[in-house]
Amino acid sequence: MNIIGIILFPPIAFIIGIFFIGLSRRIMARIQWRYGPPITQPIIDIVKLFNQSSVSHGIIFGLGIILSLAGSIVVVLFLPLGKICPISNSGGLLVILYLMILMPLGAALSGGEAANPNTSIGISRKLILALGYEVPLLLILLAVMTYYKTISIVEIVTMQQSVGWSLISLPLLLSGIAYLFILPAILGVRPFELIQAPQEISSGPIVEYGGKFLALATIQHAFGLFIGVALFVNLFLGGGGIGSISTQLGSILTSAGLGCIVSFLTGLIFFLKMLVVFVICIFINAVYPRLRIEQAVKYLWKWPTMLAFAGLVIVFIIRR
Amino acid sequence: MDRNNFIKWLKAPAKMGHKYSLHVVYFCTGCGIIEIPPSITTRWDAERFGIIPVATPRQANLFLITGYVSVKTLKAIIRTYEQMPEPKFTVGFGSCPINGGMYWDSYNTIKHLDKYIPVDGWIAGCMPRPEAIFVAVTHLWTLIDKEMANGYKRYRENYKYYRANQEQLYGKVEWPPLFPIEDKDESGPS
Repeated sequence: MNIIGIILFPPIAFIIGIFFIGLSRRIMARIQWRYGPPITQPIIDIVKLFNQSSVSHGIIFGLGIILSLAGSIVVVLFLPLGKICPISNSGGLLVILYLMILMPLGAALSGGEAANPNTSIGISRKLILALGYEVPLLLILLAVMTYYKTISIVEIVTMQQSVGWSLISLPLLLSGIAYLFILPAILGVRPFELIQAPQEISSGPIVEYGGKFLALATIQHAFGLFIGVALFVNLFLGGGGIGSISTQLGSILTSAGLGCIVSFLTGLIFFLKMLVVFVICIFINAVYPRLRIEQAVKYLWKWPTMLAFAGLVIVFIIRR
Repeated sequence: MDRNNFIKWLKAPAKMGHKYSLHVVYFCTGCGIIEIPPSITTRWDAERFGIIPVATPRQANLFLITGYVSVKTLKAIIRTYEQMPEPKFTVGFGSCPINGGMYWDSYNTIKHLDKYIPVDGWIAGCMPRPEAIFVAVTHLWTLIDKEMANGYKRYRENYKYYRANQEQLYGKVEWPPLFPIEDKDESGPS
């Protein structure tokens, strides 16, 4: 069962991430009163990019992207999607935190090899932005782990099915709002699009990528979108469950031998929740201009950090 | 438009990919660039055909030269063209890149762009309307289908000719040759 999950999870995450990229281009077009590309346009782009010639700037230039891609694929295996989680009994949230840093690190290694000034600016912005959102993210995760008294993300999801979503439960409300505030920075959408600002630094870290390198970078971006949204849904929106009634229904169905259907339904509910969160992020993306890097860090270290810290204090007082 | 023809995708994915995912470098040389913003924004929306502007030549496969080409700009055009990954397509926009246009007697303007880089198609007019870009793209699709959009192959085969023209213009060209120039005549038949 676990092996099937390990084989199946990365393709599912890739399809969802690619669907999100196509959907974001489509919704952005509709908001701007355009028709927009077909929803399969990112796949067409990737097919084209793999058939182009490409220029490499050294071994690390290619290996860095592969490191970043591999890191994001491994993170996907630790995230429960609905009821199933391939690697459920090892590490949990701490491992996810460690592995998530591989994504900007691989891009930084690869960009350092390219020796383009725009790449250097983009990479430095990426790492500074990571520094900006890691502080509130760590506080939020600490609050969640303290409240549920576990580091296992599977247990956090299971507990939410009996006591209700974390976002609605009062002690974790502030942490959830803080996560919503930093979610655009994790996904890299518009108020925090400064990493790939095409108008000022010629699309930043990916400026020297062409052909298959750009295709791998696009695939990694799809995985990044999936991870950012899935972590929020798992921690604060109760994963694949919609309340105690559905849990009872699920246990009845499982005892009747229909476990596959339950897994599929929870996966579907999980996907719908991800869709809602991501569409909200696209709406924010559509209306806001781009911040400068010092404005972004100032914002991230001010409001989300204050909210997350207040949430952490509340959780500590309740759980003492 | 056969973008949704699944059998064609299975037969020739590379060709279909090149057709329906044209990433464009708009080379803003002259007045022609003013026709580009309407074509990529709400009024004519080029993105529904998969055409998006990109910020760097490494990611592009269509090169649109909009307006007259001065001698100084041509350097940047050649270097941008040589950095693009193959297969790459070039389209000259407006009458100035074709034959000089209204700058036909200028001392500082290139009269025939296709002496210096290969051009796959022209859009005539002064100025062409934004619809002309879509007509040109439709023609480019036909050319890609029939494998006649082979400017990058011509550049590789006749690189000696293009390089000689560039050297004739600039005296000495600052950048190294993209492809090796073999001198068959001097090496002799031995």
